[in-house]
Amino acid sequence: MLDSSRAILNANPQLSRFDPLERILFFDDFDQGLNGWTSLIGNYEHKLESILPDYRDLRPPMLSNLSMWDTGTAGSMSGTYALKLSTRASSDSLGVGIKRQTFRSRGKVQLECYFCFKPEANELKLSELDVRAFGVLFDIQDGRNAELRWMPHLRYLNAVNGQRIARWQFKPRTRDFHKIGDSGKTVSHFHLGQEGWVDVPTDSQELCYNEIATKMNWHYLKVNLDLETRRFISFRCNDVIYDGDALQCIEIPAMPNLFCMLNIGFWVETDVDKRAFLYVDSVLLSGEIE
Amino acid sequence: MGTQNSYTVVLERNTTWQNEFQTEPYETSWAREAIFFIRALGDGGGARVSVQISPDGIHWCNEGSSFEVPVTEDSVTFCRVKHFGGWLRLTGTTEDTPTAPVIVYLSLKE
Repeated sequence: MLDSSRAILNANPQLSRFDPLERILFFDDFDQGLNGWTSLIGNYEHKLESILPDYRDLRPPMLSNLSMWDTGTAGSMSGTYALKLSTRASSDSLGVGIKRQTFRSRGKVQLECYFCFKPEANELKLSELDVRAFGVLFDIQDGRNAELRWMPHLRYLNAVNGQRIARWQFKPRTRDFHKIGDSGKTVSHFHLGQEGWVDVPTDSQELCYNEIATKMNWHYLKVNLDLETRRFISFRCNDVIYDGDALQCIEIPAMPNLFCMLNIGFWVETDVDKRAFLYVDSVLLSGEIE
Repeated sequence: MGTQNSYTVVLERNTTWQNEFQTEPYETSWAREAIFFIRALGDGGGARVSVQISPDGIHWCNEGSSFEVPVTEDSVTFCRVKHFGGWLRLTGTTEDTPTAPVIVYLSLKE
């Protein structure tokens, strides 16, 4: 990046905490609303019962001012509101938010955000192992002469069955495709199941949970992808940078109606019968895109 | 003229209620007004649902408004709410018969 470009970013307190590539594709500060982040639902035809069961109740995003029962409102990292995802108080529940875009050339893209995750503070206990995981996914398909739809998935597995894991994982495979309805045009596959996650082959990374369930600390996440080679380049969480070479993506033959798709999603999983929350304050997608 | 934020969230989709039930807590601090809509996706039994508010999303009290769950397919009922603070949800109880499958919207505006 040119020094002059960096100086312009540094002059803007909203942007100075990011390291965007040459073109900012979107910058969502949730003080200005949901900015296109919406619920994820499975495909259907004729009736809602045709939705695959795992897709029927993915919980929707909301705007939160991070109000706690013991200390009142914390607000977001900058301003008042953050994007919040919440599960149900059931260990099989997921909260998901998705933003749907397309791309105009197959260059490099970079997602940056600030996040924190917590369980619902309905017990006076540390509860640091109640959130199972949170993650970020991309759902991308080539444009002209499309060969592949590919879905980079990355999650931070915090804990399983009360055991701390603290590892980043990627997902190389999705579940089988199912035909939906009778038109022959609709299929569905669930890609957020618990199966098939692979550890990023490095050490674990413990994050800043803090000392009670109502104290939130914001973390930095950056994910770099190459749309041309359809690969992770790298990702970074706070002070640790991970090489993308070992990371695999779900790959599917290109599908009708998805050309140039560039969807981005966040999700959160609970490991116990208690709500798990993921908060995201400002998301920036940038690219080396013509 | 600036635009004001608005957002409609689907709190339940194709859900049939039986016995005691609540919708999930939904944060509403940014909004000044709300309408709950319930549309029946089929036929079923009735129930009266009450609006609840909360200081923390954990502990709840009745706001005072209530309305009926629709009982015939594609019928819609609603309830307007104002001055509700940081969280909203619905709570209710059915008699012996489950409700119709319903889709529940919370329509919020600044």
